[in-house]
Amino acid sequence: MAANYWESTQRRFWQFTKDELAATRQRLEDEDPTLVQMFPLPQLRHLNIYFNQQINRLGKRLGVRQQALATAQVYIKRFYTRVEIRRTNPYLVITTALYLACKMEECPQHIRLVSQEARSLWPSDFHGHDTSRVGECEFSLISEMNSQLIVHQPYRTLLAFQDEFGLTHEETSLAWTVINDHYMTDLPLLHPPHIVALTAILMALVLRPVSNTTGGGPTGSNTSTGAAGAGAGGGGGAGGVALAATALAQAQLQAQARVAAVFAGGGGGGNTPVTPGFTSSQGSQVGSAQGENLGEPKKATDPRLAKVQRFAMWLAESSIDIEAMVDCTQELISFYECHEQYNDKHTREQISRFIKARGLDK
Amino acid sequence: MSLTNPPSSATGPGSVSAVRSQALKRSVQAAFEDPADRGIGPMSYQSKVRVTDKYKVIGFISSGTYGRVYKALGRHGQVGEFAIKKFKPDKEGEQVTYTGISQSAVREMALCSELNHANVIRLIEIILEDKCIFMVFEYAEHDLLQIIHHHTQQPRHPIPPTTIKSIMFQLLNGCQYLHTNWVLHRDLKPANIMVTSAGEVKIGDLGLARLSYKPLQSLFSGDKVVVTIWYRAPELLLGSRHYTPAIDMWAVGCIFAELLSLRPIFKGEEAKMDSKKTVPFQRNQMQKIVDIMGLPTKERWPLLTSMHEYSQLGTLQPPMNYGHHQHGHGHGHHYQAQRQSSSSTGGSQLEKWYYTTINQHGTGNSQSPLASLGSEGYKLLAGLLEYDPEKRLTAAAALQHPFFSSGDPVTTNCFEGLKMEYPHRRVSQDDNDIRTGSLPGTKRSGLPDDSLVRPGKRVKEG
Repeated sequence: MAANYWESTQRRFWQFTKDELAATRQRLEDEDPTLVQMFPLPQLRHLNIYFNQQINRLGKRLGVRQQALATAQVYIKRFYTRVEIRRTNPYLVITTALYLACKMEECPQHIRLVSQEARSLWPSDFHGHDTSRVGECEFSLISEMNSQLIVHQPYRTLLAFQDEFGLTHEETSLAWTVINDHYMTDLPLLHPPHIVALTAILMALVLRPVSNTTGGGPTGSNTSTGAAGAGAGGGGGAGGVALAATALAQAQLQAQARVAAVFAGGGGGGNTPVTPGFTSSQGSQVGSAQGENLGEPKKATDPRLAKVQRFAMWLAESSIDIEAMVDCTQELISFYECHEQYNDKHTREQISRFIKARGLDK
Repeated sequence: MSLTNPPSSATGPGSVSAVRSQALKRSVQAAFEDPADRGIGPMSYQSKVRVTDKYKVIGFISSGTYGRVYKALGRHGQVGEFAIKKFKPDKEGEQVTYTGISQSAVREMALCSELNHANVIRLIEIILEDKCIFMVFEYAEHDLLQIIHHHTQQPRHPIPPTTIKSIMFQLLNGCQYLHTNWVLHRDLKPANIMVTSAGEVKIGDLGLARLSYKPLQSLFSGDKVVVTIWYRAPELLLGSRHYTPAIDMWAVGCIFAELLSLRPIFKGEEAKMDSKKTVPFQRNQMQKIVDIMGLPTKERWPLLTSMHEYSQLGTLQPPMNYGHHQHGHGHGHHYQAQRQSSSSTGGSQLEKWYYTTINQHGTGNSQSPLASLGSEGYKLLAGLLEYDPEKRLTAAAALQHPFFSSGDPVTTNCFEGLKMEYPHRRVSQDDNDIRTGSLPGTKRSGLPDDSLVRPGKRVKEG
């Protein structure tokens, strides 16, 4: 439902496994292999970087807030799991997704203004499109998404947890930027928003915020440079990633130990005729003892390390899917690496090629 | 949002197979289509489903500012009857073009796609075709406006107390579901509360509903006017910038009162927006509330003084003696209100109103049927019509109210035990063509979105 992620249409219809997603995309390409061969495209993540940049440009002109930009990007992702990109004018899809997202996020923009700005932003690829084309594309978008327009974002989880984990303003900003960046990956189609948010928090804790370059933040603009710099090349990048991996592994081990302890405690009850109270207290003793055995780290003197440890402890106590967080972390790291190879001009040209050749701009 | 992993029942294979079967259906469908027609670009948008292929329209139900509602049957063996709400496209000159879907339609489409509760009207599907939006809902034979109207027909007779109790419980249950999911309905009124022939209450028309968590803009700045005036909460009338699910609960209180008395409890006249589009203070409506509830005080409603229109309160008349003010029901001698409790509620005449109302159908030696609702009925009503939105009963609290656990038990079918059957919804044959049906909006008058024109007779009565 609207506020309950587990019953939401997002979870029921728009969350895929990697295999499902790959198969869906393959099916789309197989519908018309000649088309795909004729117009090669850069890798999806590079396309997403391009879309992200374009949507930010349009959003900036209209004064649209981050939440709507994020929702628009999710719409684009969902739409392109249903429709082959080469059959569409991506600029029209971007414009329409933003127009629709603004209505859904309760910050509506007039359709005439949105299409006017789009025309002036992309004069050569969008010139033939007026408001009625945006209106028509809106039907297409809603129809392909089965009117499932409510998107759960990780931002809310982040804000809800900033106190719990004692995040500084810089750490919250950095986590916010990481969330902004995850819209350029497949993560919004693969993992629940709270997994993304917690991963972003962990990354913000282990990747030292670079005070000068952090873009974004709850109210600021959103560039990926801050986190990308910190992730790939920035100070302490490699060490930070290692730290994140350690923290997750540690949390996972502790969680396993906890489960094992509960199991042992419960199972032991059969052999030992004791009161339930005794059984449970024994169980918890075993749990804490094992936790120590499995290498509870030495008292951290570095406050940053202490925060990471507290976060890992919290994770171990929770029933969060740590495996999913590991996957999320890897996906983000690999995205920051592939960001380095992104070529803006090349991407733009390849998109323009099929737009022009197929007359999609008219 | 829940942070724990889902219960195993929710992760079952159901969801995955749903996605798969959907994908399968799509691919089968795609096989019958020219692939070039799919998607957008130089090709125009084509719906994959045609509403008239799938449904047989059997009549016209009502029209509102949004468009028209039709009654329909499935052509492919779909079980049951359907109500299809058609949103009209905007017209530019004579040419119908795509002009962007209204925000209220977008909200209703998105929210109805997520909602799933026995007491909220169920969406079957949405078909986007020929620049129109068709929302297909389960059909409900009755609505509260109809039911209330039926009881005003001569001889005027009250709605049975068991029916009222069941309706209230189901209505509150639906509200609780909406509110725990952060959905504010914002337009609860008898015409929007559907009742199926099986006696199930269904909250309908979510055209004004929206999510209330962390809105990007304050709720006030979005839509300046919400809730049909008679059901509008005092904090809205006083220009509150921040409002909450409590506005729906005030409306539920008004509906409860209307089920008891068969007429709107606060039947004010709406002051129209002036040319500068500023929202005027709804003096007449606020006065109607004050007439029964007394003037609100900052002792009972601490944030009262921070209301935008607080200064206007001074210009209102304190309630007159209730006995003179009532439009001569002639049964006033039946009320059993205790003087002291009435004065302790700060000039509220509600208790008098309640006992007068529930006793008004009694005759010389037989008790009015509504008398069985007793003092708990008053307490529930007073809890819902509480001035201070923070003190007003929430849906969850109202469901726990002794009103439901004492006296007659709550029935799941609100018609249980009734010897009569309510008249069926009027379905006209004038306009059966859902595709070309003349667009409304030109010849309408009166309350927008009311599916039934309130008979003028009711105004004169009482």
